[in-house]
Amino acid sequence: MEREKATTLYIGPQHPGITGNMMVRLKVEGDTIVGARTEVGYLHRAFEKLVERRNWVQSFTMMCRFCVPEPDPVEESYARAVEMLDKIEIPERAKWIRVLVLELARMSSLLLWHAGQGHSLGLYTMGQWSVGDRNYILDLFEELTGARIYHMFIWPGGVRRDFPEGFEDKVLRTMDYLEKRLEDYDNLLFENSIFQKRTQGVGYVSPEKIIEHGVVGPVLRGSGIKSDIRIDDPYEVYDKLDFVVPTQPGGDIWARALVRRVEIRQSISIIRQVIENIPKGEVYTKVPNPQKWKIPRGDAYARTESVRGEVGMFVASDGGRKPRRVHFRGAAYVHAVTLLEDVLIGQNIADVSAIMNSLGTCPPEIER
Amino acid sequence: METLLEKIKDRVSVNFDLKDHKIYADQKRVDLFFKKEHIPSVLLYLKEQMDFRHLMHMSVIDWLEEGEFEVIFLLWAPKEKIKVFVKTRIDRENPVMENMDNIWPQLNTYEREFKEMYGIEFPGLVAPEEFILEAWTGPPPMRRDFETDKFAKDNFATRPGREDAQDVRETIAKRSGEDIPDFAKKYSR
Amino acid sequence: MYNDKNKQKIVDIIKNAARKHSLWVLAYGTGCGAIEVPATMTSRYDAERLGVRGAATPRQADVLLITGYLTVKTLKRVIRVYEQMQDPKYVIGFGSCTINGGMYFDSYNTINQLDLYLPVDVYISGCMPRPEAVLEGFGKLQELIGKGVANGARQYKDNLDYYRENQKKVIKNWDFQDYNW
Repeated sequence: MEREKATTLYIGPQHPGITGNMMVRLKVEGDTIVGARTEVGYLHRAFEKLVERRNWVQSFTMMCRFCVPEPDPVEESYARAVEMLDKIEIPERAKWIRVLVLELARMSSLLLWHAGQGHSLGLYTMGQWSVGDRNYILDLFEELTGARIYHMFIWPGGVRRDFPEGFEDKVLRTMDYLEKRLEDYDNLLFENSIFQKRTQGVGYVSPEKIIEHGVVGPVLRGSGIKSDIRIDDPYEVYDKLDFVVPTQPGGDIWARALVRRVEIRQSISIIRQVIENIPKGEVYTKVPNPQKWKIPRGDAYARTESVRGEVGMFVASDGGRKPRRVHFRGAAYVHAVTLLEDVLIGQNIADVSAIMNSLGTCPPEIER
Repeated sequence: METLLEKIKDRVSVNFDLKDHKIYADQKRVDLFFKKEHIPSVLLYLKEQMDFRHLMHMSVIDWLEEGEFEVIFLLWAPKEKIKVFVKTRIDRENPVMENMDNIWPQLNTYEREFKEMYGIEFPGLVAPEEFILEAWTGPPPMRRDFETDKFAKDNFATRPGREDAQDVRETIAKRSGEDIPDFAKKYSR
Repeated sequence: MYNDKNKQKIVDIIKNAARKHSLWVLAYGTGCGAIEVPATMTSRYDAERLGVRGAATPRQADVLLITGYLTVKTLKRVIRVYEQMQDPKYVIGFGSCTINGGMYFDSYNTINQLDLYLPVDVYISGCMPRPEAVLEGFGKLQELIGKGVANGARQYKDNLDYYRENQKKVIKNWDFQDYNW
């Protein structure tokens, strides 16, 4: 009998370290992982089936539920795909409001990432701070859209409503507050030697894997490639805004953390630019009666940069009142299945949770 | 932009038997239609020779009335910033598609999903049987002739009183003893 | 609500008073409602002041929070987790989709009515419920425990055949052992 023998170890679906309701089945030798297999399907609600029974506007209410931590990019992708199909031009002000909402969602999701990344390494204070501060952004969302999590705000034809009175000032005040708080986060998380030692050299994504696995977003930028859909394939008004796309050559969790550290500051800067430059005007184009709205036959693919990377929506119409096919592409669909299975090999069991957080695993995005 | 897209189409049509094409200059996108047999070599050519390195998406549309599945590969060239949609049609009754996860390993995930959801066979696909569903006995659920509402009604009981999707505001108002405010009546069905 | 003879002995009153101020919630985010649980637990809403805090394993937990829709695949795991939990144990259904299916009422993969499969003590409605609503739900559960009427676990034990029948109807690959605690 051989001395070392691989043991099967299940992480999840009920596990405090796992990011959501999914399972990773590991083959371990001692403390080292020699094989990994992602198992998903615990959150499959069959959205793509359900939209076949709903019209174009009813389907839009489902879109935000595709990804829970950051619902707005998905709404944006769907809205833009439908606009491409039906050739709807949206007003200028709506585009700026969309950018504001997307960047606020990006910030709220990044704050949640701070909590998750800290939590996965045993730094529980980080979660108390950043999730608490995230509530200030959710307050802004509540005032603008009426809901904390599922906004259903960016719809085909524009956005649902204009800013309430005094909203701009509140946004700026919140940004000032959060900018100050980010210095505290630096002290707590990024200058913490435990965090540095546990993340440097762990979860390495090599440049070859990037092309193979279709890696997007901060994972790509953390491996030294400058790529961002907001610049490469600009949508809404991102080509009029001034922001930096950070890159880090490391390819490990630490590099990706540094990329995200800069990104949250860039979001604050973008939000300030939006508030400064937003034009006056209408916020939505009138669309036909939803019960009678028919969209010409064709297909379109719209993609948006979220915190985890590219989220895209492939929408096909058969010329009827209901979508023929709505197919969602989440960043986690590739990150959390083939890439994660690849990256985990050779790592320690204790780092699984940190690697999953760093790759932006979001199970509702995988199975929809 | 238009000329660049034309050039891409021409370069592909020199090497392969292009059935049809369509150019969308505003979306920076060109659609290429091929026969099923040519798809692997077209994808490999686009990836290796023409810098369409990023596979954005792969999708399947069920055209029930025409008896065909449409399989679509969405590619993106990071340098030229152009989208190419490679499309093909396969038979709906006996759907077989070549396994292509050696071109992009991420296609493995997509193929597992479509095998389960549409019943498309990918000969040579190495993956566990189940991906999303567990112990599923019915037909592949994403096919259009599978009726999800009927399945749900047969298998999962609904709460008594909520069999239909009718307005329950009056029932709730009666139970709680409050009047429906005027602004809410306007939206009543 | 399952009420046993509508009166409590003194020992029960003391026991329930202790139980209701230490509700440990199992860390199992079964659905999208899991996003509001961190907000409830952290600094602004701070559920820990009510004795509500997270527990890592089923054996240590008192409350199973079903955060949202349950797919058939998750339902099997949830039942397993529930049966591993030790008495006292309570179930909170969180979100509209646990009550009547919510917006997934016609989905082929999600159950519509949670209380056919598990004994639910408190429902929290909304999609998604705000942290205030979650705290309100915990308050209601504490009130029911204090009165001695949150007897979901006993209800489950006494009517096991009924629950088993419903569970086996949707879970096709049934491979559970007997419920023996």
